[in-house]
Amino acid sequence: MDIIRARDLTVGYGRTEVLRDLAFTVPEGRITVVLGVSGSGKSTLLKTLAGLLPPLGGEYDFAGSRVDYRSEASLRFLYGKIGVLYQGGALLNGLSLFENVALPIRMQHPKMPEDMVRDMVYASLAQVELAGSAEKYPAELSGGMTKRGGLARALVLDPDVVFCDEPSSGLDPITSALLDDLLLRLKETFKMTLVVVTHELRSIERVADSVLVVNDGGLRFSGDYADLAAADDKFIRTFFLRKDSHDNA
Amino acid sequence: MSDTVLLPKRLRAPEVVALLDGICRSAEAGPLTLDFRDVEEFDSSTLALLNYVRGRLANVVTVNIGGALARAEESFVRRPPTEETKGPPSGSLPSRVLTAIADRFIFQAKSLGRFLAMLGDEVYHVGVYLKERKGVYPGETWNQMFFMGYRSFPIVCLLIFLVGVTISITSAEQLRHFGADIYLADLVGLAMLKELVPLMTGVILAGKVGAAITAELASMTVLEEVDALRTMGVVPEKFLMVPRLLAITLVVPLLVAMADVVGIFGGIVVARVTFGTPPAAFIREMMTSVKWTDFGWGLLKAVVFGWAVVVGSGFKGLTVGRSAEEVGRATTESVVLSITLIILIDCIFAFLLY
Repeated sequence: MDIIRARDLTVGYGRTEVLRDLAFTVPEGRITVVLGVSGSGKSTLLKTLAGLLPPLGGEYDFAGSRVDYRSEASLRFLYGKIGVLYQGGALLNGLSLFENVALPIRMQHPKMPEDMVRDMVYASLAQVELAGSAEKYPAELSGGMTKRGGLARALVLDPDVVFCDEPSSGLDPITSALLDDLLLRLKETFKMTLVVVTHELRSIERVADSVLVVNDGGLRFSGDYADLAAADDKFIRTFFLRKDSHDNA
Repeated sequence: MSDTVLLPKRLRAPEVVALLDGICRSAEAGPLTLDFRDVEEFDSSTLALLNYVRGRLANVVTVNIGGALARAEESFVRRPPTEETKGPPSGSLPSRVLTAIADRFIFQAKSLGRFLAMLGDEVYHVGVYLKERKGVYPGETWNQMFFMGYRSFPIVCLLIFLVGVTISITSAEQLRHFGADIYLADLVGLAMLKELVPLMTGVILAGKVGAAITAELASMTVLEEVDALRTMGVVPEKFLMVPRLLAITLVVPLLVAMADVVGIFGGIVVARVTFGTPPAAFIREMMTSVKWTDFGWGLLKAVVFGWAVVVGSGFKGLTVGRSAEEVGRATTESVVLSITLIILIDCIFAFLLY
């Protein structure tokens, strides 16, 4: 079953269209990678799917419901079912890691007993192997820890879909591989749907079940990762084989 | 029949500069062929020369080219213009100026609309919060009160004391001419309570608290923390602004009350030193013209100024762009906006009160 469906979706800022007429689906319980070169509109698409940037045209259905960006109820429904890992982690600097992860619980369930909040936060931190750093502040965490902290916060309310914006960027290969393992574990253990924006080839090879390739203002490929190699597209060949760049330019 | 110029093996910037004049003169005289085929050592100025003759002198100059230089030209020169390298905007200068002015006006009108919408939203959020008590981080209002009140108290008191002294010295000199020394108390009392203390407190808060709010919220926006709050189902305009608005509402009356005392104390000191007026006589005289309503209006004005500072600086912080450079710009703009709002509101109060 597809948890996300987009039809003729056009995304951008103001009057600038970044990606036009996108039609794709995101299957439930799998990792879908959105890939493209820098500036191709991957993060813009992610912002639209996460309800942060209204599309300039087209339709977007999430879990069977049309997302209406002008309706508070519709956005609340969407926000209640997603978690987002931002590129820099986006932890609030004034709060400890524990308080950052507890924040969504405190805001959504203000009457939840403190013991339960604590259990949920530590369960989430344990998933990303950060339970020992709960009392640290974001400034005391490394880049990889900050991202894992951001992921713990995104996971704490058990979302249906987790959007990850370039989880590997700025990380060394070992930390990056650990983060990829974590995403795979989440998918396999919790049957979670993940939408990962990246241009890291190693990450794509490790985690991708299905792929959306964006470039030149449009969707170049949408389908299973296994079918990507057979795609007859110069950009995709260039992207994966790092050659023919002159043909494509 | 065209002349042919055989270009040397080494054709870098010095050679290009030396040859360019000659090439241009020859091209003016008649058709010319430039033979680049022997060129082996070249740099970006060589490619610029090729681009120049192919563009500006295309009608009279023929180019023969081969080898590495041809490949370099293929790779670096003959590219279709990208979005950034397209030519200057079309249209005459007056029409471009008018378009720019119209665009600026529309932008400012939209900003004003967004600011007023945010002001309305904030009043609503504060009302809903006071009723439901949720959507705001516990304890945040106290943190903000500490920052706005305790941290601002010394600078507010120091500056208001100096303002009290300055206004008293200036006025004492004039009053002495008329033998109206004792009326210094009335003048200082009214001026401080109704006008100077609220206004100066507002301006100090704009510089200290407003700039800090904008810098903090703008950084949070740039670092995607505001987006993160939104996707957590938290309303940032409520979560971030309501504690600050509640804090300023509670803190400003205390600050202004203390500042009133300190400002009048400045007047008492000057009256004592200049005229030898005893403090008790100063206060007795002041109380004959100053009413409690003057004190109340001063407090009310200062609270409204405080709201203007918080909403104005919050607006600038939450509508910032996505670069670090814009954080600095938004902070400066927020101070200007806050002070402008304070003076505008003060003017409206002047019409209402006098």
